[in-house]
Amino acid sequence: MKRWLTSQPMQQSVFLGPALLVYAIIMMLPFLLGIYYSFSDWNGVSSQINGVGLQNYKTILTDDPDFGRSLWFTARFTVTVVLLSNVIGFLIAYVLSKPLKSRNVLRTIFFMPNVLGGLLLGFIWQFIFTRSFSAIGQATDIGFFNLFWLGTENTAFWGLVIVSVWQGAGYLMVIYIAGLTNVPSDLMEAAAIDGASGLQVLRHIVLPLIMPAVTICLFLSISWAFKSFDLNFSLTQGGPYKSTESVAMNIYFEAFKSNRYGLGTAKAVIFFVIVTIITMIQVSITKKKEVEM
Amino acid sequence: MRKWLTVISAIMLTGSLLAGCGGKEPGTGTSSNKQPAGKEVTIKIMNFKVEIAEQFNKLKEEYEKEHPGVKLQIDTLLGGDDYNTQLKARFASGEMPDIFANEGYNQMDAWLEYLEDLSDQPWIEHEVDIAKEPTLRDGKVYGMPVGLEGLGFLYNKDLFAQAGITELPKTLSELEAAAQKLQAAGIEPFVNHFDTWFGLGFHNLNNAFAKQPDPNAFIQGLNDGTASIAGNAIFQDWTKMFDVVIKYGNKNALTTDYNTQSTLFATGKAAMNQGGNWLQPVIDKLNPEMNVGILPMPINEDGDLNDRLFVGPANNWVIYKDSPVKEEAKEFLNWLVSSETGQTYLTKEFKFIPAFTNIKAEPADLGDIGAGVLEYIEQGKVLGWHWSKYPNGAAPEFGASMQKYVSGKIDAAAMLSEFQSAWDKMKSRK
Repeated sequence: MKRWLTSQPMQQSVFLGPALLVYAIIMMLPFLLGIYYSFSDWNGVSSQINGVGLQNYKTILTDDPDFGRSLWFTARFTVTVVLLSNVIGFLIAYVLSKPLKSRNVLRTIFFMPNVLGGLLLGFIWQFIFTRSFSAIGQATDIGFFNLFWLGTENTAFWGLVIVSVWQGAGYLMVIYIAGLTNVPSDLMEAAAIDGASGLQVLRHIVLPLIMPAVTICLFLSISWAFKSFDLNFSLTQGGPYKSTESVAMNIYFEAFKSNRYGLGTAKAVIFFVIVTIITMIQVSITKKKEVEM
Repeated sequence: MRKWLTVISAIMLTGSLLAGCGGKEPGTGTSSNKQPAGKEVTIKIMNFKVEIAEQFNKLKEEYEKEHPGVKLQIDTLLGGDDYNTQLKARFASGEMPDIFANEGYNQMDAWLEYLEDLSDQPWIEHEVDIAKEPTLRDGKVYGMPVGLEGLGFLYNKDLFAQAGITELPKTLSELEAAAQKLQAAGIEPFVNHFDTWFGLGFHNLNNAFAKQPDPNAFIQGLNDGTASIAGNAIFQDWTKMFDVVIKYGNKNALTTDYNTQSTLFATGKAAMNQGGNWLQPVIDKLNPEMNVGILPMPINEDGDLNDRLFVGPANNWVIYKDSPVKEEAKEFLNWLVSSETGQTYLTKEFKFIPAFTNIKAEPADLGDIGAGVLEYIEQGKVLGWHWSKYPNGAAPEFGASMQKYVSGKIDAAAMLSEFQSAWDKMKSRK
């Protein structure tokens, strides 16, 4: 056997090389190109690319209230969705990790919305909000259904939140279930024998032990909500009057509809920095709370 | 066994990746397969009108029969919003079509360097004047108009008769009176779709630009800073028409989309909507028996100014400069507007109002709306389409301000000053 074939560098490049290559071409290259374009006035198709220095960044920071508004919308949306989808996902998981007869069926049902794509979901829910809700409202006269769904700022915001939570909670539920099944039952029994109530067990034993799952779920839901685009695009199109335009959508419109690719990528770079900082803070905080068994 | 599977799938993945990147350089992908003369060539066409997809395929068969050795490959994509995004994606992957559509004016800026100069084409001498302007740049012609389209209020003739409206409204007060009569007869006067900026910022607001004494000078003035929207009398009048449309329209217009609107109108649930002859195929499908006509969109009491439809070239065919089959593509476009078969297809099958004087269209072929538009064109009672002259990104802002106005968040003066600041902001961005 030739020695060099089994050497460390050879092994590394054979096993990691292809993945690294794919990663470099699909992720790193576009990312670096994006940074490069953000300093230019490229329109997306022209063969002429002129460097404009920091002009794009200056425009965004000084002369683009829309970007600030979509950032504020995205922040509110993210906080609401992250809180609701994690709480609901955890509660469902908690209930469904109890020995129920129908739990496998229920798990499937709650996970199902995740299988459907965001675009499709958006169109389906648009129909539900604008047609079904008003039909139910007319028939029953319940105020909730008689609201002008998707037609006002608030209903459009909450419409998006409802669909996102409905879609995301099932996925988080699966992660929480995995976390919950790993909690050793002898610990729970010991606590119960010591006279701890259900809530006390949950608060002082279960929660600390599933912190790794919480870290993952928070990270996932934060990055989903921040980058949400497809649902936003199909459900509200950013309307009414751009009040529900997420940052991703703002970037897309700037780069592809208004033919300002340079400005769009500059927005994307700023957005990237913001999301990175926030997720890094979140991960480092929740990591500290994890308990080693 | 497992190992081999992994290896093979890894190779395949990397392979497909390389294939994906292969055609990245614009042009190289298509120019490399240049065909020697006498061999079969394929012209790739990107069609923007879903309504004529079937008819286009029939045309393709006819053309291939008449021109052995030339094949047409037609891809149909929904026009408007997503078409240009798709086009960019194809361009970036080296899959650029040989013939595609462009709206002209500002929309042409990005593509200009890739467009073939068509100034020497024989059809230019027959082109009607209003169709020339959009793709004219520095004295050169870059596009061939697809057809003319007229924009106005579509109205249901039967419902108008039912409400006892005998005289068609020509001024704003007459329009409001008609709406009141319809309402009194228990008919919803207008059905609006205000859910997207498109119909608002482009089609509706165009009214106020087109009715300026000299729209081009006005737009130039806005770009120079010598003209302004905020204090403009025509714009103020236009808000009054917008008021009428809102007041006598469906209550949930902000969540009504284009399809819903068209369906409500075609099934007689409302008497009027903003639209044009492009809706004819949709109406033919939903309600072939419908008696429908087109009305101007009056903004004040000036009978002469308001009795005009907004007519412009729907879109223009342009040819990719680096296409290996551009001569064949030119020949195809020329055939489309000069041969008998091509002309018949344009008017009878596509139901386009011809943009060329040598093509005669029978009102019966075009359908009710097209015939109505043709009448206005023949009488010269037309105004132009100006939304492609807005600065990039301004129309969505206009649409958003109009949605705010519809929902009662801002008043008319605030809406106009938002238009002004949107224009100023967008024109300064490069």
